[in-house]
Amino acid sequence: MLTFLRKRIVSSAIPLVVVVLGVFCLARLTGNPVNLYLPVSATAEQRAAFSAANGFDQPIYIQLLDYLGQVVRLDFGVSLRTGQPAGEMVLAAFPATLQLAAVTMVIAIVGAVLLGSLAAYRPNSPADRSASFLSMTAASIPDFWFAIMGVLILGVGLEWLPTSGVDGGIEVWILPIATLLIRPFGVLVQVVRGAMVAALSAPYVKVARSKGASESRVVFGHALRNASVPALTVAGDLTIGLVNGAVVVETIFGWPGIGKLMIDSILQRDFAVLQAAVLLTAVTIFVLNILIDVCYALLDNRVRQSVPA
Amino acid sequence: MLSSVHRPVHIGRSRAKSGLAAMLVLACTATTACSVANSDSAGDAGDAGDSLRIVLAQEPPTLEPCEASLTSTGVVTRSNISEPLIERDPTTGELEPLLATEWEQDSDTEWTLQVRDDVTFHDGAEFTAEDAAFSIDRAVNSTLACNVEGYVFGDDDLGIEVVDDTTLTITTARPDPILPLRLSFIEVVPRTTSTEAKVREPIGTGPYAVASWETGVSINLQRHDDYWGEAPDFGRVRYVWRSESSVRAAMIATDEADIATALNPEDATEENSLPYPNNETTALRLDGTQAPLDDLRVRKAIGLAVDRHGIVDALFDGLAQPAAQLVPEGVVGYNPELTAAPADPEAARALVEEAADDGVPVDREITLIARNDMFPRVAETAEALQYQLAEIGLQVKIQMADTAAHLEYQLRPFPEDVGPVALLIMHGNQAGDAGFTTSQYLISDGPQSTFGTDALDEQVAEADEALDDERQDAFAEVFAEQNESVAQYAHLAHMQGLLGISPRVSYEPNSATGDEMRLADIRSQR
Repeated sequence: MLTFLRKRIVSSAIPLVVVVLGVFCLARLTGNPVNLYLPVSATAEQRAAFSAANGFDQPIYIQLLDYLGQVVRLDFGVSLRTGQPAGEMVLAAFPATLQLAAVTMVIAIVGAVLLGSLAAYRPNSPADRSASFLSMTAASIPDFWFAIMGVLILGVGLEWLPTSGVDGGIEVWILPIATLLIRPFGVLVQVVRGAMVAALSAPYVKVARSKGASESRVVFGHALRNASVPALTVAGDLTIGLVNGAVVVETIFGWPGIGKLMIDSILQRDFAVLQAAVLLTAVTIFVLNILIDVCYALLDNRVRQSVPA
Repeated sequence: MLSSVHRPVHIGRSRAKSGLAAMLVLACTATTACSVANSDSAGDAGDAGDSLRIVLAQEPPTLEPCEASLTSTGVVTRSNISEPLIERDPTTGELEPLLATEWEQDSDTEWTLQVRDDVTFHDGAEFTAEDAAFSIDRAVNSTLACNVEGYVFGDDDLGIEVVDDTTLTITTARPDPILPLRLSFIEVVPRTTSTEAKVREPIGTGPYAVASWETGVSINLQRHDDYWGEAPDFGRVRYVWRSESSVRAAMIATDEADIATALNPEDATEENSLPYPNNETTALRLDGTQAPLDDLRVRKAIGLAVDRHGIVDALFDGLAQPAAQLVPEGVVGYNPELTAAPADPEAARALVEEAADDGVPVDREITLIARNDMFPRVAETAEALQYQLAEIGLQVKIQMADTAAHLEYQLRPFPEDVGPVALLIMHGNQAGDAGFTTSQYLISDGPQSTFGTDALDEQVAEADEALDDERQDAFAEVFAEQNESVAQYAHLAHMQGLLGISPRVSYEPNSATGDEMRLADIRSQR
């Protein structure tokens, strides 16, 4: 297991490094942010001073080395936009995104297991067809459109929910979570259903039934255990997608998370914040990847053995 | 660690169960506690009658008073948290006393100002002429690179002297007849404010002080009880930001906000919004250094081809005025005789053909660059312009850019080797004097001008030193001359903004509202 872990850590760390370096270089290719931060009629000297103060006058590899040196000392630089330490801004925003992603995934997984299992238990029944239709629809609705429709119908029309914001009780969570939920939920129901259909028709289920196991034990005890491997892989990928892609939800609903922070940093060429946000997200995804692999390996011994030396 | 074939399944199952349980606990904790990380839901959001709720399109990056000429900062800071010495009435254009009681010009280059003696800062310190002098020095003479310095004052430093507690003198390097107008852009801060770095949450003399700023969530202001002027209606003001116009409009409809800035026409109704002229003018800036745009006939043809009336009606829902110059009515120098002519594609085509006959490469592709979110339906506007220019025989491709990328094209030094560029610009003259426009957009080496002529430069320089009626006439001539013999700009429209407003409050937006929304002017209707 330790060998497996070590190999997975090494192979997962490569994209982490590539992403962090890639964002650093790509950000700088978008140009010097001097125009955004200095007055329109700033003199050449002021522009040069700004570039020098922020290291933008150095060749990109020197900037990169400086940056890596800073990161080692856990110094992530200062936001050009707000003057605050970039690390602090990112750490303040991240928990809001994580909360949203965690709650969404719990609901998606529990809901998908129940609905997917129900659909698979009686293939082609009305329940199955409804579940399939609903999940296909959910997986294909653009989240942006869903969010705005949610605001218009549930917020403005029925006045059941606030349109946006984070002040209040459980009601402020509903629209953001519903928006984040639709795609993972739709996909997961499909995956669970498919895996359960296969599992329920497998010989060991027949054996279990013939031994007199109860139906719930057959479905949730035997079949689901085997169906959970593909479902877990997909759920892991979807979770990573959530952490990464909360941008739409956070932008529309004014949720103070890292997706909104990242978009603002890109638009404002606020390199330090962008880099810190990408680094933290990449590390989180890296950790999530490892956790998923470990879970996967615990569930299915063949996975560990299949990792090439 | 796990060696048998059977055990992993067993352990996996129990771990999966405990993992699931842990996730559920997490979910329940998160939802029942109901507070979002990075937010303080202590409840000052409330809709209590004493609180005014404003939703902005974006979070201000800073509330630093010397950055208050930036729209997103100024709309919160100006005249709310901090105040200037002199203010300009956005409707009449007249200068009125604020922290200064009077001012007079002693000589061509020297001015004396008297300031109030009954004003205190939010921290309790007394305001004196020394604070006024400090604020001007900090904004204009320092190395802070304040936006107000570059945009309003240019490179020259000011000489500032404190005579006594209520008197100061200001000396300019050159005669500057509109110095008091420029001073109206400087927000006063106490002399204890940092001169090394910009401040994020300032102290000022305004009717409101910063109570709290939760990054990413809201800014809360509290009425300043020792305010020297009339107390505003609302005890507290809360700013939040939503980038979607439809959400901002929805917040008015659901009574989650009292004021919403910058609504799109499709989200606005007569009940929930008020249109107002926002002093912004849109135009195509033509790079006169690149063929075929270096030919006056081609540039004039573009001006003739643009169907500004059609664009205003079809794309702006009539919420704009077709334009023939870079400033709207009300700005000193506006030329009432320049009228926005209807499109004349026939005449435009003839000019392009004439240029082609003389060897001008009119088939060279022109890049039309526009900025996302510059105004509602900007992409459709760019497409309409592309079509109208194609109709007269010009090849145009569209490039949509974000703000930073657009600025690369907007400001000197311009990118090289990009071919002929027609840049869709939106210029706001909030100062009310054409001098601020011409120094940027019309003179040959203006920071936002691609070329010019000596004759126009001379005209602008003369206008800059003129005063009163003479100044008005001189700048009006400058705009006529640009249209006649330079044609760097094909004007599109004088724009209007849409302010969302709930019946709970009354407020009359004016041409400064987008940049300076005076909270004291917003009245409670309950």
